Amino acid sequence: MTPTLIGRWQTRVFLLATIGGLATLPFYFGLTGHGGSLIYFWVLFYVGLIGCGWDVLYNFLMGWMWDHDWPGFLQLLAGIWEGLFLGTVLTITGLPYIPTQRFYLGDFILHYSFVWVCIYLSSWVVMRILFPRWRFRGGEWLGKWPYSRG
Amino acid sequence: MQIQLSWEDPITEEQQEPIFPLPFAFGRDLTQLPNEWQGKEVSRAVFTSQEISRYHALIYRSEDGQVIYEDRSANGSRINGEKIRQARRVLQGGEVVQFGPYSVTVSLVPSGDPSATLLTSAHRGTRTLLLEPPTDLIRPNTRTDVDIPPSSTIVFAPEQSPDSRSASEFPPPLFQAEQISLSALQATGLPVEEAEYLALGGGMGSFVWVDTIRIHGVKPEQIRVISIAKKPYERYDRLLNNCQIPRWKRIRSGSDSCPDNIWGWPGYALRDARRSFFSGRVLEALGFLWQVFSEPLLADTYTPRAGDVFASMDREAARIGWDQMLRYGHIRAIRKTEDGRYVVAYSATRPGYTDHRFMVAKYLHLATGYPAIKLLNDLQEFRERTGDLKSVVHGYEPHPHVYEYLEKQGGTILIRGFGIVASQVMDRVYEARKINPRISVVHLSRSPKSGNRFGRAKREVDNHWEFQPYNWPKGTWGGDLRAKLEAATPLERRELLEVWGGTTTASRRKWRRAVRQGLREGWYSIVFGKVESVVLSDKGKPVTYIQGTHNNTQMKVEADFVIDCTGLVSDPMTNPLLNDLITRYNLPLNPHGRLHVSNDFELVEMRNRDGRMYAAGIITLGGPYAPVDTFLGLQYCAHRSAEHLVRVRAPGMKTLEGIGSLWQWCKWALNLRP
Repeated sequence: MTPTLIGRWQTRVFLLATIGGLATLPFYFGLTGHGGSLIYFWVLFYVGLIGCGWDVLYNFLMGWMWDHDWPGFLQLLAGIWEGLFLGTVLTITGLPYIPTQRFYLGDFILHYSFVWVCIYLSSWVVMRILFPRWRFRGGEWLGKWPYSRG
Repeated sequence: MQIQLSWEDPITEEQQEPIFPLPFAFGRDLTQLPNEWQGKEVSRAVFTSQEISRYHALIYRSEDGQVIYEDRSANGSRINGEKIRQARRVLQGGEVVQFGPYSVTVSLVPSGDPSATLLTSAHRGTRTLLLEPPTDLIRPNTRTDVDIPPSSTIVFAPEQSPDSRSASEFPPPLFQAEQISLSALQATGLPVEEAEYLALGGGMGSFVWVDTIRIHGVKPEQIRVISIAKKPYERYDRLLNNCQIPRWKRIRSGSDSCPDNIWGWPGYALRDARRSFFSGRVLEALGFLWQVFSEPLLADTYTPRAGDVFASMDREAARIGWDQMLRYGHIRAIRKTEDGRYVVAYSATRPGYTDHRFMVAKYLHLATGYPAIKLLNDLQEFRERTGDLKSVVHGYEPHPHVYEYLEKQGGTILIRGFGIVASQVMDRVYEARKINPRISVVHLSRSPKSGNRFGRAKREVDNHWEFQPYNWPKGTWGGDLRAKLEAATPLERRELLEVWGGTTTASRRKWRRAVRQGLREGWYSIVFGKVESVVLSDKGKPVTYIQGTHNNTQMKVEADFVIDCTGLVSDPMTNPLLNDLITRYNLPLNPHGRLHVSNDFELVEMRNRDGRMYAAGIITLGGPYAPVDTFLGLQYCAHRSAEHLVRVRAPGMKTLEGIGSLWQWCKWALNLRP
């Protein structure tokens, strides 16, 4: 799928809110790690919030590629990079609602990886099957065709 | 003195060779070009690109008889690579002038040259002079460069085959009118069939459209397809075979551009991987997945095998009831009816009996594909003069005799063109060299390639082959380039397409290695220049005389075979059916002379009350979507027109989204009727 910036944002927010939310439930209910906590959902929120910023950067970088495309491989690199960044910030300074003393890096890595894999697979499969127009519109699953005439 | 400019159209890849009397001015804006210079009338041409100035340059003959190029632009021009800006320079024949994305070879033609007159009459003026200022569109009656299919055209199985015996009596005289009444049709006594939806042309475009509206809820009883082909991939398969892609070879198409699956999942790579995995070839399976995961950065782009594509289409055709909807026939004419529908006159005539029919439908879809293939002018002249159809061939014509001969006798071939067909021919020659190493290849290029630029990006070039995974950058499929093109005006679209398009091939390691090896070992060479003539030698071989790009050097290439690997003809005016439709209803054309469609791929001028008509494929090139002649492009066109049909509440059409879409996908996966 070759994305537009708005498409990146929409897909990111939608998948984090749905698939990401579902994938976070086992962590929230404490089935793994240091017991259940709302923190996992706050992590999800920051992945989305900071991610929308990253998307602007990715969209800019894409301009150097002749195809203006975003292969799966770069998606993976971006996922790793975003995880590293957020993990570092949460370990060192923490973020509102995620104080450093209640943050466990091991749990974060497990949670983040699990959510990311679920979302990655969904973006290849679920989005295409549920929203046939999604890939034709650069990842925009909401709204009408822009500039539609006639 | 006249000047002939020759270049390859960056969008259609067709050869352009117009002749202009001097003085001659060109630029981006016709109104900025002078009408008169030193008392002489100026011939003018418009080239569209933001890198070209409104009044870019003037070419004139000085008092001492030299031809002078005077640059007047902001960005400058390059003559044989040497940059000039706001300056004059003597121009010689054979030199290459570059301005913006154009690379134009100049020939000087004395005014009295009879062959020049011939060319001039074949290319009257320039195309861009004919745009209607308020819309940027062309009206066919203002277009002066329209020709009936030229003699240098090889027409392959058009939807409307010329059938001289019956052409005079069918379609009947009532088709002279723009609107036809149903009673008049019935009065002819010929069979009249009615349907809601009608696809014209039974090729890939029609198949994808019918598949899409079937999945959106339309029943097979409501749809008809008129075609002379039994299989939707018939013509495509034949072209592939001719250009050395048998079914087991891989075509230049993406993994998720599946004509049998409108969701694009599972793509061909996954299906390929599954097959390989269950045949015990685990590494191969992982290889395919790695390709789609990392293309084109770390691996060659994944492409499916032609045979697999066709097999999956056969399955889908059976699922949606393709044969049930198919009607055999050559399409003769399309007209509006008085009751807000359309009537199509078609002829199912077979040897031995005459059978003319009408089909009336409310929703029409036109996807007739490429009307013809065209040999380069000098090669066609050679063929006409010598009657030799064996030593000069088009890459899209059957030409296995070339390789059989080379494998036995060895020899030299001259390849013209650097596109995907040239790659396939090179690949075939490489295989032939394993049998007989006494084969050499001369590759002719008009000028050295440097790679197009767009924004911060530059297209990759290696040994003058330009690479792009598919024929348009992937961003034009769905991403930002798609959005940009759709939002643009017709003229802006042309500018964008000129930068993104052009002759390119796929970067495949094997091919690039063969080129490098050939250059190193000396059996492959690239020459630069413009062909002056192709003549038959004493030994009965085609000899090509080339005017080199530097200082009028002359070159002579004697080859056993010349293979023309340049493009297909996509001009709808060369298709008699489309020509008739366009002229009858005065349909506007886009700046590239192709059908002007709305962003929903509707032919808005063909609206007939509730009746709607759509077009897809190459006949819409230059419009709202770039890769219209690819599998994905056909799906895009079908998707857009299907959404439009839902919006106008066409019968049977339901929105395809969410659970409904999942349900339809499950039916696809389980091979149940939609």
